[in-house]
Amino acid sequence: MTEALVETVDVEKLFPLTQSLADTLAGREKHVIHAVDGVSLQVQKGEAVGLIGESGSGKTTLGWLIARLHDSTGGKILFEGVDITKVKGRDLRPWRKEVQMVFQDPVSSLDPRMRAWQIVGEPIQAQGPITKAQLRARVAEILPHAGLPADTLDLYPHEFSGGGRQRLSLARALALDPKLIILDEPTSALDVAVQAQVLNRLVKLQRDFGLSYLLITHNVAAVRYVADRVAVMYLGRLAEVGPVREVLEHPLHPYTKALLAALPVPEVRRRAARYRVSGEVPTLINPPPGCRFAGRCPFVIDRCRVEEPLLRVIPNHPNHTVACHRAEEIGDLPPEELIGEIPRLPTS
Amino acid sequence: MVFQEPINSLNPAYRIKDQIAEAIHIRHLRESGKEKGLVSPLAPYDYSKRDLPKAAEVLTKPLVPSLAKRKMRLPLEEDKEKLLREVLEYLRLVRINDPETILGLYPHELSGGMRQRVMIAIALSGRPSLLIADEPTSALDITIQAQVLTLMKELMTEVNTSILFISHDLGVIAEMADAVGVMYAGHIVDLGPVDHVYQDPRHPYTKALMRSVPNRYKTDGPLPSLPGSVPNLVRLPTGCTFHPRCPIARPQCSKDPGPALLPAEGASSSQHLAACYFSRDVLGMP
Repeated sequence: MTEALVETVDVEKLFPLTQSLADTLAGREKHVIHAVDGVSLQVQKGEAVGLIGESGSGKTTLGWLIARLHDSTGGKILFEGVDITKVKGRDLRPWRKEVQMVFQDPVSSLDPRMRAWQIVGEPIQAQGPITKAQLRARVAEILPHAGLPADTLDLYPHEFSGGGRQRLSLARALALDPKLIILDEPTSALDVAVQAQVLNRLVKLQRDFGLSYLLITHNVAAVRYVADRVAVMYLGRLAEVGPVREVLEHPLHPYTKALLAALPVPEVRRRAARYRVSGEVPTLINPPPGCRFAGRCPFVIDRCRVEEPLLRVIPNHPNHTVACHRAEEIGDLPPEELIGEIPRLPTS
Repeated sequence: MVFQEPINSLNPAYRIKDQIAEAIHIRHLRESGKEKGLVSPLAPYDYSKRDLPKAAEVLTKPLVPSLAKRKMRLPLEEDKEKLLREVLEYLRLVRINDPETILGLYPHELSGGMRQRVMIAIALSGRPSLLIADEPTSALDITIQAQVLTLMKELMTEVNTSILFISHDLGVIAEMADAVGVMYAGHIVDLGPVDHVYQDPRHPYTKALMRSVPNRYKTDGPLPSLPGSVPNLVRLPTGCTFHPRCPIARPQCSKDPGPALLPAEGASSSQHLAACYFSRDVLGMP
């Protein structure tokens, strides 16, 4: 395999919870939130990787780690082969140019008191001195790439529509001609018709500029359309990684199957009883050993509660890795068969 | 009514039991005709006849209303137990495990799915014949959303209530609804049985909406998308509000405000209505 643009190696982010003085004095064990717990993921050059998972699965934290908005507490993040977790201060600046981010909520991530050209131009100014006229000219070039007319230079964020604001965010990310853009729920605040415009724009930009994307979302439809590969995250770990068509059409991990089966599809004919996972997402505070999904998994066996499954390739599914002990047995069951009664598997 | 964000619509300072009990207590008062302005369930409170507060009263009103001045009577001690039993009943109705523990908790101690169940319990405790659910699952994760939707569907038959389900998620509507209305700029533009509207949309907006659902891979070509965005409701376009974005608009659409809902031409159901003169043309829409 060629060298990945970004590669995380067992990257880990633990958030310690505050502890009362009494607990500290008593020497009790500290509670720690394992937000991202040993994730290894690659993004190739020019590739769009979708990262899906429910809230609290650590997908946003992983995005922030790769953008160095959080410092990781373990593991490595390699950008073009260089570990960026050790780089500090001024040395980060040339690297910052290469990785840009589009945040979840375009309203709160755009300064309401700055005009469009100032918002998009700020990252350019941060990289080096530039005159105002040059900056405005540069921004006027960038705006059309994000699908905004160049005469919106002097508008304030509130004068844009929801889709327009998201495009402004995108223009800011494009300003430095980055290699990787991390998109954190880029379409969750938009309605269906506008979402389609933004998704089309994202795909076009990726083609035109050879960008890489890390698309973080719980919107499976958006991932299907934009991503080349998809990674499914559950409670701080990757459950499954593979080409988008493979994973969405032949999910191997029970969690992915459950997630896809629970997805409401806008087709009336599909409204059958659906495979439901019972229970709720457990907390990430000091998670138990073994598989994170064991508590909700219909296929759980004793081994799952003790031994942590690792991402591995299973026969007949090259390029597709899954973290499940029983992937061979349950991998080929179509989600429809999981409806209602949990099928009894032949005991081998 | 079930609101969008359960965390914002539950009072963070009251325990779950008190919030559900309040709704039940109000119903008891209404049923016994004790609450002022609510004579019987059949004669609802007429808000237009309410005395408007005078400026002087508003200014002199204490910031914290004292308990004595409250119009609502608090339940007697022996009624409280009965009330609590009823609260438990409603919690069981919305399939909350271990309702006795949940009773004493505050909203922030519950998960999103649980909070939405509590909201549904509160809404149902008034014994409504219509439940209005405004995006009840948009704040929930997909697997939890599936649980709540199944619950709502089951409850519909169990407590015999109708649901007006407000959502922008076409998938959720396909799953829940019998009939669907599509709104654009303040008007219902397409109305009919859900399978007819989804499979044979008769308003250009519905058609465009259905097609812009991303259900394909990028290798399959670009997503059809609707140009422009929703008009500003202060300055609506002349004529049909949809004509600036409509691919099959004709010159008259920019002048004529468009029809009220008409039976869609050539639709397979007579109950399928569309607010468009050219509902037949929607079939061959580019």
